[in-house]
Amino acid sequence: MQEIVTSPHATGVGIEVRGVRRVFDSGVIALDGLSLNIHPGEFIAILGPSGCGKSTLLRLIAGLDKPQSGSITIADDPDTPATKAREHLAYVFQDAHLLPWRSVLDNVALPLELLGIQRGQRLAPSRQAIERVGLSDAVDRYPNQLSGGMRMRVSLARAMVTQPRLLLLDEPFAALDEITRQRLDEQLRELWLAARMTVVFVTHSTAEAVFLADRAVVLSKRPGQIIADHTIELPPNRAGPIRATPEFARQTRVLYEALDRGQT
Amino acid sequence: MLWRYVPPIAVFVAVLIAWQAYAVITGAPAYLLPKPLAVLRSLVADRDNLLSSLGWTALAALGGFAASALIGVSIAVLLSTSTILRRAFYPYTVFFQTVPIIAIAPMLVILMGFGILPVVVCAFIVSVFPVIANTLTGLLSTDPALVDLFRLYGARPVAAMWKLRLPSALPNIFTGLRISAGLAVIGTVVAEFFVGEIVRGEGLGVRIVSATKQGEPDLAFAAVLLASLLGLTMFGAVNLISHFALRRWHASEQ
Amino acid sequence: MRSITVAWAPRPRKSAIARAGRSCHKQSLAILKCLLLGVLLSACLSGCHRDEHQATTITLDWKPEPEFGGFYQAQVSGAFKNRGLDIELKSAGAGAPTWQLVASGQTEFATAAADEVLIARAKGADVVAVFAVYQTSPQGIMVHRSRGFSSIGDLFTHPGILAAEDSTWLKYLLGKYPAPIVTITGYSSGVTVFLAKHDYSQQCFVTSEPLLAAREGGDPQTFLIADAGYNPYTTVLITRGETVRNHPQKVKQVVEACREGWRKYLDDPSAANAVMAKLNTEMDAKTFELAAAAQKPLIETEETRKSGLGVMTSQRWTQLAKQLVDLKVLVMAPSAENCFVDVDKLPAN
Repeated sequence: MQEIVTSPHATGVGIEVRGVRRVFDSGVIALDGLSLNIHPGEFIAILGPSGCGKSTLLRLIAGLDKPQSGSITIADDPDTPATKAREHLAYVFQDAHLLPWRSVLDNVALPLELLGIQRGQRLAPSRQAIERVGLSDAVDRYPNQLSGGMRMRVSLARAMVTQPRLLLLDEPFAALDEITRQRLDEQLRELWLAARMTVVFVTHSTAEAVFLADRAVVLSKRPGQIIADHTIELPPNRAGPIRATPEFARQTRVLYEALDRGQT
Repeated sequence: MLWRYVPPIAVFVAVLIAWQAYAVITGAPAYLLPKPLAVLRSLVADRDNLLSSLGWTALAALGGFAASALIGVSIAVLLSTSTILRRAFYPYTVFFQTVPIIAIAPMLVILMGFGILPVVVCAFIVSVFPVIANTLTGLLSTDPALVDLFRLYGARPVAAMWKLRLPSALPNIFTGLRISAGLAVIGTVVAEFFVGEIVRGEGLGVRIVSATKQGEPDLAFAAVLLASLLGLTMFGAVNLISHFALRRWHASEQ
Repeated sequence: MRSITVAWAPRPRKSAIARAGRSCHKQSLAILKCLLLGVLLSACLSGCHRDEHQATTITLDWKPEPEFGGFYQAQVSGAFKNRGLDIELKSAGAGAPTWQLVASGQTEFATAAADEVLIARAKGADVVAVFAVYQTSPQGIMVHRSRGFSSIGDLFTHPGILAAEDSTWLKYLLGKYPAPIVTITGYSSGVTVFLAKHDYSQQCFVTSEPLLAAREGGDPQTFLIADAGYNPYTTVLITRGETVRNHPQKVKQVVEACREGWRKYLDDPSAANAVMAKLNTEMDAKTFELAAAAQKPLIETEETRKSGLGVMTSQRWTQLAKQLVDLKVLVMAPSAENCFVDVDKLPAN
């Protein structure tokens, strides 16, 4: 069993989810007393059947919704106030959700703009982020001139531009074709290896979870309870071909069986 | 590129020919059904008067339209920020559209006197509702994920309105403006029936009423034609602006 | 392998959809047929209904007011019915002049002003006058008494607003006062603006608006256009020349019924006033009474005492025609004989 080593200079934050309960206005209980401890710099995948509350959990961590009871604390050390820690939070949705009237460059620069950074200082980090996802020739194009995969990469670049310490992704590549999806998985993993922020990645796909994450948590059907918390036993540097190895298959098997259990 | 204008022009010419033929064949007297040629003759013969009246109407219509655009969008922005405000006031904005000008013209005149102001106000009243309704729809249909994104980065409501909701609503705003342009012309002309100065012929509405009273429908039609052209031009201008504003990103201009 | 799957898949789907589409199509066609039948049926029925109920319409060129009192009286006291006439009285709103309605056959009779008749004839409409209610035109301009005007000329030479339709009498006044200081604007009915603004004057019928304004506490003063030199017969009953030629007896009966109605109305307006008050709620009973009294001298004059109510002379028609030519409203003066008909001279069947 490989130990996940977080470097002492890790930029990621830790998340402590304690007994969180979330009920929607319609009366539906999405989560009922969920607890989870996410370590700084960890890449954690969250799996579960549809409606189990994994997206809800992500939104709660992001601060977009409030739980009815329980708490979510974000810090890498107890002395950092949660509000400050949230400053470096980024969220990637299932669709790219770009501003169609802005160019790729201005879309990626948006978070910096909203945080009050002047135009002169926004351009360099934005171009860097765009280069990181390999879209440098498309800086001046508009979203409607890009393919689905390219739009998602812009969305990723936008998420990375503030150098977030916490990156939340909600099934971001689900709408893309297989090949693009795998490429983007690889790109994401590279970005993470370089920056080492905490990543919480919600997905339906066991293969994706195994490829990307250090750790996978499987939720049962609604209201989601953790039925498996599995450390992925694979080397840190994972290239495409690893998907074909028996070791990979074994890991996916574990998760698959957990999912199956959760359905019943 | 000019080929796209052939179909509507062809329709126009066909209608004119049919109209002329009908009038000639049925032998309808001129005071009942003016022939297109007669209308054209009136237009040319009286062109100085008609053009000065057109100028007057255009000024009032543009003023009313501009007021609709600015005030309508502002009202919509205000209503979009609060559910309670919306529930309380939105139903009443419909009244703008339904109030008959005949009833309010005297009241406006009492408040503002004669001249161009009550005409502009009439044009505004008649044309503002489509702007409010369409803009509001646009503002309320902003992509919720983008709203979340803005919230995530701590954007203040003003920033969200200016950088997200308004640009996102732009196609809807233009739709509202398209409808509003024609209505502004109608509101202007009808107000002129009651308020327009007669001797100098201030407004096409005055010309229409005078010509009708004198039993000269071809002159009345000529004035109506000019009013329609005015409305068409304003509509076309909105379309042009919409094209340039949206061409890079909106499906409607692709 | 793959290509075969793709080729097969669409076809079975298509026929299922097409079948569903066709039955939908049949349904909508059936509905359309039913609707069409319904429309045709109702059109037929309403048409049949109309044939049994062919009334002769008199379209009055304003709302029911004492200026039409005699017509309503004729209806109320049975003057029409006794002569075998089925008359329907309608009110025209603002819009197309009534002579156009007569000329196009939409109404058999209507009321209009004598100058309108001349203009109509010049345009080729064959309308003729048969009965003139007002020997003196009640057309006037209502001003605020407190302004101290002594004539229409004063109004034109002082700043203020005059709300008037662009009619021939206005052209006459503009001919007399060619550089008006007053601003002339469009006219909407009612006295609301007059009451609210001191410098506002408006066109009126002496029997109508001034009385309304006085009732509401205003200080109206009326100047008659007739006093300024323009006096066409007003509220003139008109019909088509064709009707006079083909149905002279009917026209004669209508005019005689009107004479009877007007005689009765001048003697006692209460019955007709009651009927009109129900139709026109803007005027109250007292105003009806006052108006009916005020208009008497305009209707009954030396001429009518001599030759009967509604009489017209060719001398006055000729004079009016000349005025219109002078105003350049008409190019050529039509002959007076063609403009009006003295029904007493019509052949007695």
